Amino acid sequence: MSEARILVLALGNDIRGDDAVGLLAARRLAKQLPASEVDVVESDGSGFDMIEVLEGRDYALLLDCVVTGDNEPGTILEYRREHFAQVVAGSPHYAGLPEVFRLAEQLSIPFPGEVLVLGMEVADPFRFEESLTEAVAAALPGYVDRAAEIVKDWALLRTQ
Amino acid sequence: MDKSVQSTWDQAQKNANADYMAKRRIVIDPITRLEGHGKIDIFLNKTGDVDRAYFQVPELRGFEVFSLGRPAEDMPQITSRICGVCPTAHHMAATKALDDLYKVEPTSAAKKVRELVYNAFMLEDHALHVYILGGPDFIVGPDAPPELRNVVGVIQKVGVDVGKQVISMRRRIRELIAYVGGKVIHPVLGLPGGVAKGIAKEDLAGLQELAKDCVEFAKFTLQIFHDIVLKNEEYVKLITSEYYTHRTYYMGLMDENNKVNFYDGKIRVVDPDGKPLSEFRAQEYLDHVQEHVESWSYVKFCYLKEVGWKGFVDGADSGIYAVAPLARLNASEGMATPLAQKAYEEFFEVLGGKPVHHTLANHWARVVEMLYAAERMQELLNDPEITSKDLRNIPTEKPSVGMGVVEAPRGTLFHHFETDDNGILTKVNLIVATQNNAARMALSVEAAAKGLIKKGEVNEGLLNKVEMAFRAYDPCHACASHSLPGKMPLIAYIRNAEGEILQELRR
Repeated sequence: MSEARILVLALGNDIRGDDAVGLLAARRLAKQLPASEVDVVESDGSGFDMIEVLEGRDYALLLDCVVTGDNEPGTILEYRREHFAQVVAGSPHYAGLPEVFRLAEQLSIPFPGEVLVLGMEVADPFRFEESLTEAVAAALPGYVDRAAEIVKDWALLRTQ
Repeated sequence: MDKSVQSTWDQAQKNANADYMAKRRIVIDPITRLEGHGKIDIFLNKTGDVDRAYFQVPELRGFEVFSLGRPAEDMPQITSRICGVCPTAHHMAATKALDDLYKVEPTSAAKKVRELVYNAFMLEDHALHVYILGGPDFIVGPDAPPELRNVVGVIQKVGVDVGKQVISMRRRIRELIAYVGGKVIHPVLGLPGGVAKGIAKEDLAGLQELAKDCVEFAKFTLQIFHDIVLKNEEYVKLITSEYYTHRTYYMGLMDENNKVNFYDGKIRVVDPDGKPLSEFRAQEYLDHVQEHVESWSYVKFCYLKEVGWKGFVDGADSGIYAVAPLARLNASEGMATPLAQKAYEEFFEVLGGKPVHHTLANHWARVVEMLYAAERMQELLNDPEITSKDLRNIPTEKPSVGMGVVEAPRGTLFHHFETDDNGILTKVNLIVATQNNAARMALSVEAAAKGLIKKGEVNEGLLNKVEMAFRAYDPCHACASHSLPGKMPLIAYIRNAEGEILQELRR
């Protein structure tokens, strides 16, 4: 695999309804973006699986579904690294980004300076189904566009 | 507010709360991006003391329906998507269920390749748990401040170099799994009757080197456990604490000499005194394992059919049993490799003989198993057959029913498929480790609750105690495991007997 400095990491599970939204967006993105510039990686692994993928990148865009309960399904949300400062997990089943960032920091693993999580509020990421709910499906094109925009901005920054 | 007014106010608040809290229910919920995540219900009686407590585990609801009508061959790939933490366990259980479904015996070399990959996976998962995730309770120490009871504290305690070594070993082990399995997260290794890929002779030396390093790493882990954990009196005291001590039955997969085997063998159950109760093959699991349904919940609790369900109590008359590292050690007569055997003997010597009933000893048992997994990898890679190209027997039988079992890191995992003549699924039943452990987990929760809730006063240590039990079992949550930031994965709802929420504790 090439190790492009810009990473798009899609998190989710493609057999759990809306949980697949990040993966589906990534598959569309992969067709739009030059592979020489950007690696598009899919993962449904637990938190610590992300270490190897994030290591050595300059920029990382994470695509994932979000359940805050505070927004309409289909709402696109952006989180920066500072949103993931707390470390709370006590088991592999609860490990997430905060733990991964802290661990990398402690062990001096080179991690991206720029991390953005592009989330989409979803209705139901828990059903065992290979389909999105209506609002999420409708929001998918806009989600892909926003992700592409972020990546293109980063690519420009790199060439300047 | 004036001090005397404040104190009267506080007293009135307290009285009001006390009335309010009488006869209530507490629910502790982990918050993750999961459905039907583990939930803890604590019912209080009129005086505010604990009446009963339950731990609910999620069911893979909907999964069976999702699978019906699909080709059984897809199951190793589909089931590995159930859980982002241990996809390899599901992949292997499903592959073995397919062997059984098509009545095809894998070739000897294929079994060895599978077992190699499987032990590599077990070692990697155990290492992650010991160092990074289970660590807060014993490497950091049970009384450490909350901000250090996590991976940050573990690294501080063991040192950055050790942390780096853990990550590097893990990466190399995962490379081995990817080399044979095609992918780490969704291996495409298992086929009915064999494996899709073998080991090339030219790669053998590098893999043998890795296995040698794995053994050293496991030895080093045991040393760390000695230096940091066993010398910590507080931790040893905690291991033996009453909250987590339950005299139950124990289940695990064993080879023909009753030694622990993660990949294959017979299922062996011992009673609370360590005497053998039963031995059976995966295909007979329904004769031994039953599920008890509680009226208050959709969750089923597994118990031993030959002993029977006697409610949430331990002892020889109650069919509650445990799986996972401690249960495997208890159910066995030893380890099949020399270093692990030595560590096994020391484990039981220090903890007062077999069986050990202390749930928190799971963490130590996990280290013993790391040694075994590493040594077993080395044995298999030194086996001349490991580079054989005879990797598959092609199925010729018509499919109907197939069952497979492996030891997942967290305990015994059953897969059961039924199909029509064309191999299209008509029935699917999975019993995951957490379901096997569910009733015993409820005992831990109840013990902690009874010790820490008195007369309606909920001791703030309750969540810690419950979380510690969680961590030792590390229950599966049919998961996508990226927790939202800044939230402790536990909530306690306090309810009355009618189930109305009266109070909420969050961390």
